[in-house]
Amino acid sequence: MTNETQILTVSELTIEIRRTLEESFQQVSVIGEISNFKSHISGHWYFSLKDADAVINCTMWKGFNQYVFFTPQDGMKVILNGKITVYPPRGSYQLDIRSMKPAGLGELQEAFEKLKKKLEAEGLFDEKFRKPIPIFPKKIGIVTAIDGAAFRDLVSVAKRRYPLVELVIAPARVQGSGAAESIVNSIKLLNNLGNVDVIIVGRGGGSIEDLWAFNEEIVARAIFKSKVPVISGVGHEVDFTIADYVADLRAPTPSVAMELATPDVIEIDNFINEFLSKSSRIIEEHIIEKEENILSILRSYGFRIPLDLIIRNTQQIDIAINRILQGIERFSLIYDKKISILSKSLDSYNIQRVLKRGFVLVKQNSKFVTRAAKFNKEKKATLNFYDGEIITP
Amino acid sequence: MAKKKTKSNFEQDLSRLEEISRKLEEDNLELEEAIAMFEEGVKLSKSCLKTLREADLKITELKGELKKFVNAEED
Repeated sequence: MTNETQILTVSELTIEIRRTLEESFQQVSVIGEISNFKSHISGHWYFSLKDADAVINCTMWKGFNQYVFFTPQDGMKVILNGKITVYPPRGSYQLDIRSMKPAGLGELQEAFEKLKKKLEAEGLFDEKFRKPIPIFPKKIGIVTAIDGAAFRDLVSVAKRRYPLVELVIAPARVQGSGAAESIVNSIKLLNNLGNVDVIIVGRGGGSIEDLWAFNEEIVARAIFKSKVPVISGVGHEVDFTIADYVADLRAPTPSVAMELATPDVIEIDNFINEFLSKSSRIIEEHIIEKEENILSILRSYGFRIPLDLIIRNTQQIDIAINRILQGIERFSLIYDKKISILSKSLDSYNIQRVLKRGFVLVKQNSKFVTRAAKFNKEKKATLNFYDGEIITP
Repeated sequence: MAKKKTKSNFEQDLSRLEEISRKLEEDNLELEEAIAMFEEGVKLSKSCLKTLREADLKITELKGELKKFVNAEED
């Protein structure tokens, strides 16, 4: 070790201090309150940890802080685990952190209340900003873990209630490191598509740590900024997250979120069937009513006068027709007699009567031979007598 | 964004059906008008019921799109 007479350079002294400190504090756990928290663009965290009487500078590199499930806030009491490092150019020492957890669940609750108050004051929960949820969505955007129970519930409810819809899944990590960023990106992407009618953001039940991503400020702001209406469905009935407060509609569970986002086909079916039976009844009543109108007009006195006239005239017409028919009958009797006389005289011209008197019909080649000049002596001839036929020769 | 405002055929048909249902019940229509509406309603009902019966849930997963989007956001 050094003694009083030995003179050291600054560097030599610093090296000694560094070795002493870094060897003594290779692995320490320390409890304190966060202040001046800064998340650098590089992903590293810089802040101070303090209590009533002391303060220590802290750094937490990206490689470690990505495993912290919450974003630290000033005033939050945390338990840190890490080592002391010395930075010679500045003559400073700091706590290089490997892990961080809230000092108790109360810390998370407090962070929750603080953020809630802040966003409420900014107006993010105002009723006037809530967008209406469409009744007949064509596309429903889903932000959740694709391998989670929530996703299966969402699909099965959509299938049952409204299979006409298309589910557009933007998978997101919903717990642990990077969950909040992942949720934010998925909400933004669904907005960018431009044709999504409503977004459901959610996950199944879990501990407050599991659900914490939905209590992060960046998630709340992404939901607020979304042009597409957002329904939140996080955890169970009893779980309230910041996302629930800022969403356009809060559902107690993912399944209910899908129910709120879709109309029920059974109800639509009932409506249509009711329409069919009701409207056909209305039309039927309409027709019956008109029929009765017509009948009552026909029964009215005014309508009976011409009708009576018609009936009276019809009788006269019938009588006249009967007379005409009788006249025709008489005529036809007279004609019948005349016809029979005529047919008898016609009978006398009958060929058979001529043959009977002794005339003969001569046929050659099945044609009548009516002149001697046309008779062919070489050929056969058929002679038709009254009492029979002879073929010559 | 303008696309968002367009209703699906199903939604249009259904809202027309609701309108017809309302008008038929109002009871001050001429018979011819009522019958014409009824006929239209029956046609719409059939097409809506057909759509319902033939519906099959469509699921699209944005995997590549999400990756591309995240990369673009980080740049």
